[in-house]
Amino acid sequence: MNRKFGIGFAGAVGLALVVGSFLPSTETSAADKGAAISHTPGVPVTRRLSPQQYRSVIRDVFGDTVALGGRFEPELRRDGLLAVGAGYASVTSTGMQQFESMSRAIASQVVDEAHRDLLISCKPKAANAPDDACAHQFLERTGRALYGRPLTKEELRVQVNAANMGAKDLKDFYQGLWLSLASMLSSPDFLFRYETLEKKTEKNGVYDLDAYSKASRLSFFLWNSRPDEDLLKAAANGDLDSSRGIRRQVERMMASSRIEEGLRAFFTDMLGLDEIDAMAKDSVIYPKFDTMIAQDSKEQTLRTIMNIVYKQNGDYRQIFTTPTTFLTRRLGAIYNVPIVNNAANGGPELWREYTFSPDDPRAGIVSQMSFVALHSHPGRSSPTLRGKAIREILLCQKVPAPPGNVDFSLFNDPNAPNKTARERLTAHVANPVCAGCHKLTDPMGLALENFDGLGSYRTTENGVEIDASGGLDRSQFTNAAGLGKAVAESPAATTCVINRMVSYGLGRTPDRNEMPWVKDLEKQFSGEGYSVLKLMERVATDPAFYKASAPKPNVAPATSTN
Amino acid sequence: MVFRGIQLAVISAASSAALLAFSAPAYAVESQSYVVNWFAGAANTQPDNCVGGINPPLEDQFHKELLLTGMQPVQADKVIKDYLNNENGHDVDTAIRYRGRYNGRPVNVFNNPQTIPDPKMKAVVGKAGYGFNLDGKGADDPKAFQDPETLEKGVDNQLFRAVGCLEGFRGSLANHPTFWYWIWQTIRDSQPAWLVTISGEDLTKDGPVTFTFDRALEYMVSNSGGEARADVTYRIDPDPRSHNVFKGEIKDGVAYVTEHGNFKMLQNSWGVPELNIRNFHMRMKINKDRSMEAILGGYQPWHHLYFAFAHGGLSRETSTGSLAGIYHLLKSNADADPDPKTGQNRAISSSYHMKAVPVFAVPPEPPKTAPPKPVASVGGPVPASR
Repeated sequence: MNRKFGIGFAGAVGLALVVGSFLPSTETSAADKGAAISHTPGVPVTRRLSPQQYRSVIRDVFGDTVALGGRFEPELRRDGLLAVGAGYASVTSTGMQQFESMSRAIASQVVDEAHRDLLISCKPKAANAPDDACAHQFLERTGRALYGRPLTKEELRVQVNAANMGAKDLKDFYQGLWLSLASMLSSPDFLFRYETLEKKTEKNGVYDLDAYSKASRLSFFLWNSRPDEDLLKAAANGDLDSSRGIRRQVERMMASSRIEEGLRAFFTDMLGLDEIDAMAKDSVIYPKFDTMIAQDSKEQTLRTIMNIVYKQNGDYRQIFTTPTTFLTRRLGAIYNVPIVNNAANGGPELWREYTFSPDDPRAGIVSQMSFVALHSHPGRSSPTLRGKAIREILLCQKVPAPPGNVDFSLFNDPNAPNKTARERLTAHVANPVCAGCHKLTDPMGLALENFDGLGSYRTTENGVEIDASGGLDRSQFTNAAGLGKAVAESPAATTCVINRMVSYGLGRTPDRNEMPWVKDLEKQFSGEGYSVLKLMERVATDPAFYKASAPKPNVAPATSTN
Repeated sequence: MVFRGIQLAVISAASSAALLAFSAPAYAVESQSYVVNWFAGAANTQPDNCVGGINPPLEDQFHKELLLTGMQPVQADKVIKDYLNNENGHDVDTAIRYRGRYNGRPVNVFNNPQTIPDPKMKAVVGKAGYGFNLDGKGADDPKAFQDPETLEKGVDNQLFRAVGCLEGFRGSLANHPTFWYWIWQTIRDSQPAWLVTISGEDLTKDGPVTFTFDRALEYMVSNSGGEARADVTYRIDPDPRSHNVFKGEIKDGVAYVTEHGNFKMLQNSWGVPELNIRNFHMRMKINKDRSMEAILGGYQPWHHLYFAFAHGGLSRETSTGSLAGIYHLLKSNADADPDPKTGQNRAISSSYHMKAVPVFAVPPEPPKTAPPKPVASVGGPVPASR
């Protein structure tokens, strides 16, 4: 395999970004070329592993007793997704130091006495000397699992030689192995996901991904991790060159419980739940807030969604209307409902299914703490932020940023006569410059005003009764439950999840040329009861998912090196 | 602060069910549970309620008591100097710990406080103190206080009178005395939480109510600022040793216990291991922020209190003041339950300030195996009124 990087990888520090910059492989494919598609696909994207993907791969390869021992760089969100931002993310020198640190820590654990018998399948002839055969065996297998493809002969030879030299100098076979393993773990082949085109499949400038790139795209899409052994074998033996072979793998992977990991990763990304990790609240105003409750709120929303889209394989739109959720005792204090925890004092809190009454405004994920608290200010709610989040996150609509000279004085004046957010916003949007955008956001956000900045239910603000009526396009409602119903009934909500899912899988927003494919997926989504599992299966088995155009020669890759 | 504002919406079916399971009356249709956030002696320190100022610092008390044991002044000076300089720890500890004398031999003064002559420490002389008229003598009782909140006269709170001139016991309802603050802050996150439930037909109106006190199976959950978290769910410990039911009534927005029985509550042994209060009284009010405050009191065995003060030994003494002195203060100010042989009162009137936040209290789920038989109550129940 002859990989041609768009930009050289000049050492560990100062790694440059590579976006969709791979030229087709010169290797040939003996299998069929896959089904033809009616549109011109976009270019492949090189993506930095997300922290969760990094953890998953390490866990898959070395087990869950190996600690990472480092910190990840912040992720980058583009077009609504971290999965898209990953195609724009670079590695700073500090970030590379962290990757280096983690690679050394992980490699140390793999070769230590507690793990080596389990993780290194061969034993050296002598522990204080090189053993070429054993080093070769370990590095070949481990490299394949880490990179998601076999190492080239040259790559493997370099790593084995390094291990042998290290073992000789240090008089320790395992220390030599440690050097090579740490090197692989800080390699761009591990830290990035590359996609390569198969030259032989070219038709009118459209290529199939090569088999290992297909395996990688499929595996990260469904399981949010590198391909497992079965999938790598399928790539090696040509199974992924046929639609039937891909379908066989998709069915296998979707039958695995690991599909839930993939679904969780997708919805965490789509809903921006990662941002909860950095959510802060004023502890004087919201004394119940702490980081454990914040984490619980994220898990609550994921469990709510998984219950519908995975366990029940139900209608996606129900996530906006369901009265059923899952709570810990901690969250019970936010929602003011009794949640019994039978765990021992100090033990982890148990999750309990809880269904709100049919007339309760608490219905659907929009009414949950993860949404209303995240899209609020540290010390108060925000109908505007909440409405903006509904537009941008759930409906994939763009809300313009406020003008630079916007006057917030009326809104922020603590001595202003307006007691409620509705009154303050009404005064604020008297300014026609502000009114345009606020009309897009506030009618929805005001329907969530019964939830304070932390998500607890309230009926008044500053002693004045809250009016939680609102509207979304042509729908009018009186409270949050009505808002959830309106979102569920909005065609934009279902279009949005399809767009996000396709973007998530491709690592980029679909091109205009690809919109017919997306439209087809919309029809299928509707015809299959808005099943997210079915949608994933449709995407994963569609030949379009594995095709790409070559980057145009005049499109220069990014060259910044910070 | 008035007893208003309980919303039907916040009353859980579960907590009502819990009450019904624990002998709530048939009319109880509304209930609200609370977890105790703070529990402290109800102090009402005034600038002038200790004649000539408060009791002297601990080192002065030690010096005086060492002399009472027959130690020479120069020796006592050396012990106190070393104590203050944190030197010769073993010798200092031995001298202070074993400053009691029995048949001329040194004995542990914490276990045997009667082996040291009464150092005659000061007690409170003021007339303002929180509590209740327990003995019914009213204004005619020369030892009694007048409650600064209710203005009731004849209030019996001899515990406050006994210890109120020691630095560690001085404070107010807003600023609890250091000793009580320290004890409760130390134990509340590591002992089963205390629960209070009030139930009645309509808790926003005057009328009969029922108070139920229990321990929870869980420890108190606190906010990041350290205060108890509201709206958390607690399971009620079925152990009868901490289960109490009292009849009461809401009058003019304040809820009172009207049937004055015996109150019992287990506590972490760092405090009073078993709180026993006879002739139990309580008044309770709800604050605007939904929290609850109460003054409660009655008669409790003063040797239980002494144990709570003394069982930490010398380290505890640094926060209480001279334990031998406290022993004699408690003994001399005890005002109930006279020993039929000696006439010495065995109980002392006391009052406590309690703060609590609204929570859910629910019955524990049925055990999968038979629960162990409850262990007999430590020390037995408080004797009935004589």
